Amino acid sequence: MIRTALMAAALAASPLAAWPFAAAPAAAADPSPINAPPTAQDWQALAKLPDWSGVWTPVISDQEKQEKSNPPPWKPQVAKQMEHMYAEEDAGRPFPIIDHCFPTGMPSWMLITHNAFEILFTPGRVTILGEGDGNRLRRIYTDGRAHPADPDPSFHGHSIGHWDKDTLVVDTVGLLPQAYLAVNEAVGIPNNGDMHIVERLHLLNPDTLADDLDISANKVLSKTWHTTRKYYRQRAKKFDILEGVCDQGFYSDAVDANGNSIFAPIKFHNGVPVGPDSK
Amino acid sequence: MKYASMKRWLRAAWWAAAALAGMAAVAPATAHHSFAMFEPTKTLTLKGTIKNFQWTNPHVIIWVLVQPEDGSAAQEWSLETTSPGVLTRAGWTRTSLKPGDKVSVVFSPLRDGSRGGALNSATLLDTGQKLVPSFGKEQPGLK
Repeated sequence: MIRTALMAAALAASPLAAWPFAAAPAAAADPSPINAPPTAQDWQALAKLPDWSGVWTPVISDQEKQEKSNPPPWKPQVAKQMEHMYAEEDAGRPFPIIDHCFPTGMPSWMLITHNAFEILFTPGRVTILGEGDGNRLRRIYTDGRAHPADPDPSFHGHSIGHWDKDTLVVDTVGLLPQAYLAVNEAVGIPNNGDMHIVERLHLLNPDTLADDLDISANKVLSKTWHTTRKYYRQRAKKFDILEGVCDQGFYSDAVDANGNSIFAPIKFHNGVPVGPDSK
Repeated sequence: MKYASMKRWLRAAWWAAAALAGMAAVAPATAHHSFAMFEPTKTLTLKGTIKNFQWTNPHVIIWVLVQPEDGSAAQEWSLETTSPGVLTRAGWTRTSLKPGDKVSVVFSPLRDGSRGGALNSATLLDTGQKLVPSFGKEQPGLK
């Protein structure tokens, strides 16, 4: 419904059209093809937003609690697959949900991550930068734009947001059908298309961020799934986000015949990595 | 470590393991894996020498050479653990373990009996320093 409203508003865009959720009046310029340069006022407006600085670490124990107490309303045929995946996990054959060093994607990143992330505010944008995996980032446009009519499918989708007091409301569409809707790193299912996610991100207390998610995925869920995930704020500098290039872990440092530093594929034996000098 | 927390930790590290397991016959397939491939209810303790310490995502890998008591050739064990980010917060650095260091390692072994596992702790025998792959209790404002 929000999406429909946003698109209708975009179609009606005129310099005088009031933008109901826009953080800045410049948003009314949508669907202008130009990203207008931010003004001094745009930068100053950021100071009025809630303080979400620092590094956020997921509350993994709460993820596990939610997994048990509030599972997704799977369609019956999906529920059978989930039972099988749980059985496989218990048998020590976990299915690799996060495979090929692809980004965890949405909504699984917010649901199951064990890794830290940070949130940056700039005029017209909220950016979430994660640790681990390549290209794990979300761009949430808060400049009042609408979703594209036919966004290119992506792991994180197309996200537009607006501030409702101190809550960031994010609407995400345009997700790859392959993007998993996962409840842990070994149990989940591709959303198979038409997924729509609405999130309300807000502080529960000064150092706990909550993400209330409403996930509609009509190919795999029987109804919209409402769930919440929590993240704790860390300010110690040792929590600063590090570069995390997943693929790097499959190579060891080496030097080639010309003396150049290179990456050499790690060898495996019976599925176990072995040293670069091993037979 | 409780089973649940071990299972959780194993999953975190397991990206690498699942990825690694599936990779044997394929060119660099890359997966970040759950850690359910390891047996969380078992722990093994071995003394050995660090062969290599690889400080990479998604998982840090420690190769340890273990000399069997019967005098036969040293056996190589590969132990996986969580990421450089998590280890940094737990006080590790990329030089915490160096080739040649004598260590005692405690780990959950691979269920299939291969010489690999998920690290619980590594103790440097020369200094007694114990390294664990966790930054502790879940709470905000950790120091």
